[in-house]
Amino acid sequence: MRVLVVVPAHNEERNLPGVVESLRRHVPDWDVAVINDASTDRTSDVARELGVRVLDLPVNLGIGGAVQTGYLFARQGGYDAAVQFDGDGQHDASFLKALLAPLEAGSADLVIGSRFLQSAGFRSTWARRIGIRYLCWFLRLRCGARVTDPTSGMRAAGKRALDDFAAHYPSDYAEPESIALCIRKRFAIAEIPVCMLERRHGRSSIGSLRTLYYFVKVSLALLLLPPVTRQADQAASASERT
Amino acid sequence: MSAGPATLPLELQAISVGVLLGFLVVVVHLVRRHKLSLRDSLLWLFSTALALVLMAFPMLLQRLAAALQVEVPSNAFFAMAFLYTLANLLVLTLGVSAGAVRARRLTQECALLRGEIEQLRIQIASKPKEKTET
Repeated sequence: MRVLVVVPAHNEERNLPGVVESLRRHVPDWDVAVINDASTDRTSDVARELGVRVLDLPVNLGIGGAVQTGYLFARQGGYDAAVQFDGDGQHDASFLKALLAPLEAGSADLVIGSRFLQSAGFRSTWARRIGIRYLCWFLRLRCGARVTDPTSGMRAAGKRALDDFAAHYPSDYAEPESIALCIRKRFAIAEIPVCMLERRHGRSSIGSLRTLYYFVKVSLALLLLPPVTRQADQAASASERT
Repeated sequence: MSAGPATLPLELQAISVGVLLGFLVVVVHLVRRHKLSLRDSLLWLFSTALALVLMAFPMLLQRLAAALQVEVPSNAFFAMAFLYTLANLLVLTLGVSAGAVRARRLTQECALLRGEIEQLRIQIASKPKEKTET
């Protein structure tokens, strides 16, 4: 299975060397593409010096647009799977093989690395955990998704999900919405337990003031999902049968 | 207006017609100078022309006011003005959204192409060396 690790990075010159090093250690035969989301620091140069593929976005698109660039690249390059892996050092590369396993077994189209299936590691603040609970509840109510960590940015997409993400991906705060869209398309979603680390350098892209905006925006996005077209439904059930 | 809600005050009518005509002239001018695409200005042109007709023939406005159960035609005029602005703003926002989607896609394509060029450059740079070695 040809796998591409998509690393979205915005001003991560200090975290990137550690991230790439751990990827090399744990998944040496996977390709790595750093999507530099119009950083103002040396992120692009640092990534090049590390010898990974770098895609420089000329304009800042936000995490959704950056990740989608990775999916477009994966589709173009004919990869069988694309793994999202944050460039800020929060993700632990030792879980990546386990993340890919359900895809290799053919039992899932999208695998999410969840912080809440196992109680270990950095689990973020209580306020954020309540927010995540709320999103779980909302997702389950809205489209019957049973996920424990819908905001996780550590995910592996198989061929089907990858092609779909390359064509349509929400623009900002994309993770919960993209899960809902996957369920609409009847993609199989699996979760595996992972531990996450605390950021080493810099600030998270979701600040305290933006949190309210985040929840309002994500809730609205989930509420206003596109209607299920009969064609899409038939296509989904047809591919399910095969 | 003490004579009842029969017509609009003549001054208001004259000013409105003047302003709308001026606006129409500006839009047409911008389209002719290619500063505004005809496609994006269609709604402006049509809705302004409609407003102009309503203003020039207040009888129509009066009928509209009666149909909407609005007592004073000038209130119907304000309601129409509000709707006119809303419709144009909505179309404008649609355009902005479509533009943003396109800009995003183009930005991504740009990054992918840059990456491809870089890769090709590396290939080209390494090829002559291979030739001299063999």
